[in-house]
Amino acid sequence: MIKRTISIVAVAGLGLGLAACGKDSSKTGTGSGSASGSAAAGTIASKLIMGGPAEFQTRADGLPGLKKNYGVAFGKYTVTDTGGPVTIGALKNGQVDAADIFTTDPSIKANNFVVLTDPKHNFAAQNIVPLVSKSKATPGVQAVLNAISASLSTAALRDLVTQAVTDKKDPDAVAKSFLSAHPVNMSGKASGASLTVGSANFPENVVLAEIYAEALKSAGAKVSTKLNIGSREKYFPALKSGSINVFPEYNGAVLSYLQQGATEASTAAVDTALAKALPSSIVALKPAEAQDSDAIVVTKATADKYKLVSIADLAKKG
Amino acid sequence: MATGGPRMIGNVITWLNDPSHWRGTGTTDGIVTQLERHISYVGIALLIAMLIAVPLGLLIGHTGRGGSAVSLANAIRSIPSIGLLILLVVIISPHFHGRTQAGFIIPTEIVLMLLAVPPILAGTYAGVENVDPAVRDAAYGMGMKGGQVLLKVELPNSLPLVISGVRSAALQLIATATIASFVPLGGLGRFIYDGLAQRDFPQMIGGGVLVALLALLVDLLLAAIQRILVSPGVSGRFSKRADRRRGAAGEADSRVAAVDEAGVTV
Amino acid sequence: MSGFANEVSSSPLSFWSYFMDHRSADLQLLWSHTWLSVVPVVLGLVIALPLGWLSNRFSWSYPPIMTVSGLLYTIPSIALFVLIPPLLHLDQLSELQVPIALTVYSVALLVRVVADGLGSVSEDTRQAATAIGFTPLARLLKVDLPIAVPVITAGLRVAVVSNVSIVAIAGTIGFQNLGNLFTTGYQLSSGTSPYYPPIVLGLVLCVILALALDALVILAGRGLTPWRRAARG
Repeated sequence: MIKRTISIVAVAGLGLGLAACGKDSSKTGTGSGSASGSAAAGTIASKLIMGGPAEFQTRADGLPGLKKNYGVAFGKYTVTDTGGPVTIGALKNGQVDAADIFTTDPSIKANNFVVLTDPKHNFAAQNIVPLVSKSKATPGVQAVLNAISASLSTAALRDLVTQAVTDKKDPDAVAKSFLSAHPVNMSGKASGASLTVGSANFPENVVLAEIYAEALKSAGAKVSTKLNIGSREKYFPALKSGSINVFPEYNGAVLSYLQQGATEASTAAVDTALAKALPSSIVALKPAEAQDSDAIVVTKATADKYKLVSIADLAKKG
Repeated sequence: MATGGPRMIGNVITWLNDPSHWRGTGTTDGIVTQLERHISYVGIALLIAMLIAVPLGLLIGHTGRGGSAVSLANAIRSIPSIGLLILLVVIISPHFHGRTQAGFIIPTEIVLMLLAVPPILAGTYAGVENVDPAVRDAAYGMGMKGGQVLLKVELPNSLPLVISGVRSAALQLIATATIASFVPLGGLGRFIYDGLAQRDFPQMIGGGVLVALLALLVDLLLAAIQRILVSPGVSGRFSKRADRRRGAAGEADSRVAAVDEAGVTV
Repeated sequence: MSGFANEVSSSPLSFWSYFMDHRSADLQLLWSHTWLSVVPVVLGLVIALPLGWLSNRFSWSYPPIMTVSGLLYTIPSIALFVLIPPLLHLDQLSELQVPIALTVYSVALLVRVVADGLGSVSEDTRQAATAIGFTPLARLLKVDLPIAVPVITAGLRVAVVSNVSIVAIAGTIGFQNLGNLFTTGYQLSSGTSPYYPPIVLGLVLCVILALALDALVILAGRGLTPWRRAARG
């Protein structure tokens, strides 16, 4: 009861101070009733809770894109994490019914999750692409990184993630075994270069950065690493300013980071737009065939219950 | 990111002033809901911590085994909250299925509760220990038994320091409850983490401002409770000492932290 | 790094073999965690000493200084870490943001401790010191501060131990310290099968570090107050 009282006092106090000169943006249509009251009512999606990263609520290919492309509006959105343990745990344990999970994630297979198809290409291509500081992108460095991209297929990428996440192998060990299976014979080609390779803080990205770093080292470059940097909002400025020089990125994700609202979907369209959108200090090399894209994933039980195959099915009445 | 001071402040105020941010939209929860959650996470943890730490502190103070209170409080304090939270989530959450968030709430409450125990324990212990020996002797002289002395003399006399301990625990919990949003829970931390992820700095700072405001309000509330609960005889003794140095405005409760720490004195 | 073990154990107790497998990386994390926990407290004390003295000497300054420092302490650390770079025009990856944030917290905590420690000097003692001929500055340095040492030591213990915990939070947003072990273990837990070793290792190292620093502060405090030992012995 005390708790209740405190909460009322606090809410009242905070409200009082701010309500005085309120400006109601809900009139512009983002207010409370809109999602539950409009076209979405009665659809399968309206009964489901969707889980994913916070930015999925605002990203062009996130909730807004699902609504625009498929008429899908979920009943509720719970912020979990970016395709990490929280999201997977929440989907598995039923705190959410659908989740934004990356297609290379080994937990999809391990848990019999169903990846809903995306016939209208709501989700952009997410090819692995090395971003490099322009001042450091010598022909030798480019050749080494391009050679890695050439041998990186989606299946190979999925295998790398499985080794790191399921088998708990150290990222540098995974990187070394990849390079011994796909050797980059360019010793001395990058000598004289001095680079800092960075990565975001999820296993796949760390492994990719280790592969870049190892290969560049064996090609004679002086390499230091800055791995496990938080999110893109933290590392991208560092890449732009040159305190990081090489970064394994995902072409669609960088594009939507640089151009909020970008709608390019195919690899070719994304690459063209990305080349234009990148700051002048960074170049994108040739992307690998390997993709790790966002996907709407549901449990087998949910898929069976509502007969879900494609994202479009979520907009059907259920 | 344009973060020119005045403009940023303006953006934060605009964010805080938007009624849709208070109510939430159909799919996401607004400030009111998250504030309620934040308060309930903190309130529950604080209550449990008090139930544990106050009797324990009284007992330790009464029996004069101060050393154990000190080492206990410090040992608890040395456990990193975020690490314990992750460990408990990994252990507990797989056991809960369905819509329930218990698998995340239980770990969060345990972490917050452990965080609140040291200041309350230290405050209570210091409060009992600081009771004027003459007062204690007089109580025994009047024929009171150990338990009576504890409840009728030592507890009322130590109340200001007990509440000081609760106040500093409450402040700490309100700030730390934001880590509930590291696992998929709500609370005001949601705005900080989401603002960061969406590069919506006004939202992030707005969340921080709300946390600070909540802390301020709760502290005022507890100060009022302190005034009501503490016997005038006890508080009078305190304010006289404070008056000499700080003027009438210097209240006994401005000593929160010092008392908390004093409890940990070697 | 070994990587030869054909099966990696997920048991909580295998944290030691995890440590041995990643020794150099873990020791590096431990080292950066250590200096991030210590330096801000030292800086915080250096800043808090004059502020605490000020608020003790001039009673009008006590309430505002304490209110501001109390408010600073309520800013959630995640928010403070992220806010510091734009406010101070630092690079988003600047290693400085964590020590700066921790220094802010240490100051907030220690100002009050210093003020109240100085306030704990009895009026009789001060008058006696003045009567013997101490100038105000000499009295502050040779009488007031030494007498305040136990209270300040107690505050330093809290500051240094809490810092170890807050540094770990910075580890979850990409700074290199023991907090990384928590996120590593969490990510490899993958929602289904817990992977304990890094998480438990992080907890063990954090607790050891906190208790060791705590013991150091106690020793320093004892060294600075020989008369207390004499009185006890």
